[in-house]
Amino acid sequence: MKLAVELWVRLKVIDLVAQTARITLVDKLDFGERLRGLTRYSYWAMDAEGETAPGILEEIDRAIRLDGAFTNQNKHLYRLSGGGEPPRGDLALEKDYPAGGAPDETAFAVDCLVRELRPDREAGFASRLGGRLRGVKVSRMKCGEIWRITVGAPSESAAIAEAERMLVSRSRREGLLLNPHYQRHEILGTKRL
Amino acid sequence: MANSFTGAVAVVQFPGVNCEYETAAAARAVGVSAAIFRWNEDPAALDGCLGIVLPGGFSYQDRIRAGVVAAKDRVMDAVSALARAGTPVLGICNGAQVLVEAGLIPGIHWEKVDLALAPNVMADREGYYCNWIYLRREPTNCLWTKLYGDGEVVPVPVAHAEGRFTTEDAGVLEEMKRGGQVALRYCDASGAVVPSFPVNPNGSVENIAGVCNREGNVLALMPHPERAAWLRQVPEDLGDRWARRRRAAAGDQAALEGEGPGRRFFAALGGAKGGSR
Repeated sequence: MKLAVELWVRLKVIDLVAQTARITLVDKLDFGERLRGLTRYSYWAMDAEGETAPGILEEIDRAIRLDGAFTNQNKHLYRLSGGGEPPRGDLALEKDYPAGGAPDETAFAVDCLVRELRPDREAGFASRLGGRLRGVKVSRMKCGEIWRITVGAPSESAAIAEAERMLVSRSRREGLLLNPHYQRHEILGTKRL
Repeated sequence: MANSFTGAVAVVQFPGVNCEYETAAAARAVGVSAAIFRWNEDPAALDGCLGIVLPGGFSYQDRIRAGVVAAKDRVMDAVSALARAGTPVLGICNGAQVLVEAGLIPGIHWEKVDLALAPNVMADREGYYCNWIYLRREPTNCLWTKLYGDGEVVPVPVAHAEGRFTTEDAGVLEEMKRGGQVALRYCDASGAVVPSFPVNPNGSVENIAGVCNREGNVLALMPHPERAAWLRQVPEDLGDRWARRRRAAAGDQAALEGEGPGRRFFAALGGAKGGSR
């Protein structure tokens, strides 16, 4: 059977990259009033082929715990999921949202995946993981960094637009988190808080 | 105001850079005054400076993307204004990344991000790469390369993980070439522009190693000329005329302290005039 599998990883400790990004967005790019939270994850998604869904997840779980390129249990939390099976790992994504703002304010968390325009890099991860797996094959590897940008906005579409303004570096005074000349983004999902 | 840089070269020290002192020393070696300018000093002190150098290193620990946090710093308001007014500005390695992320290079659309210095693409490896390479000086009006001849081959070290000039805008690349903004390309010892690794050490589009603005006063340069400013810094086994000079100078301290292949980047400031916003 074939299973769509996702792996989310984030630091257990304070993420200084995300802190720096937040400070830069607030202090230097004037997003202070709208930015409510910023969290960074490493992300991999892939198709995995094996005998059963639990067996596929178990085997990938075993492999990623052996390879620091995916997760290091001394410093990371992770969540491995697919096929509606109970997720593996210690990252509770559903609880991983910042506290909301004022009660009368709407805020949305926007999950933005940033990928490099380099398919060979993703193929490299597929090969690396595939080399550690027994009885499971992986394909269509997609990887990058997810920025969970929580913004105060009146609607979901306004929140996405605001998150994209924070993401894409178009000029010295516009955007921060990706350079559009070698990176791309996609919105993976949103959640109203 | 704590310091004035009138008539001097200001080497901007962002948190995390690590080449500022040797860069200032390379400038002093050609007889110009140079000092360190901390990023959080009053930028008014930069008015009237002879030139500005953004040195190599890891500004803000390369967080998010190399150079991008420094590019948003307030001191870059002053650097941008002075650059636009004609003050010579050189970004070396991390400094080049700052200039690209700030949109001062290529500067066709001022402060718009038209390029990236993306992660290296190399044969059978990834990440950081450090070695001596060769540069070929291209026909250009760039102030910083004016003391090198067209086609001259210059050996200098590279040391970076994100040095691949690239753009998604083919029009920008064409305009850069048409406008003589491609100041330097990676080449072999004979001057041939070979697109593959290791001649092209990072997969840079069209072997581009240095890009200047249209006016020629701002240069983003990935290699490190300050690490090739003295003859003593040249490896004896480099296999070119500079190595022969280096070997001939063995044991002669005065000769070893003489000019290295990268020094003329700094000597170009000799005839430059400082500017004000």
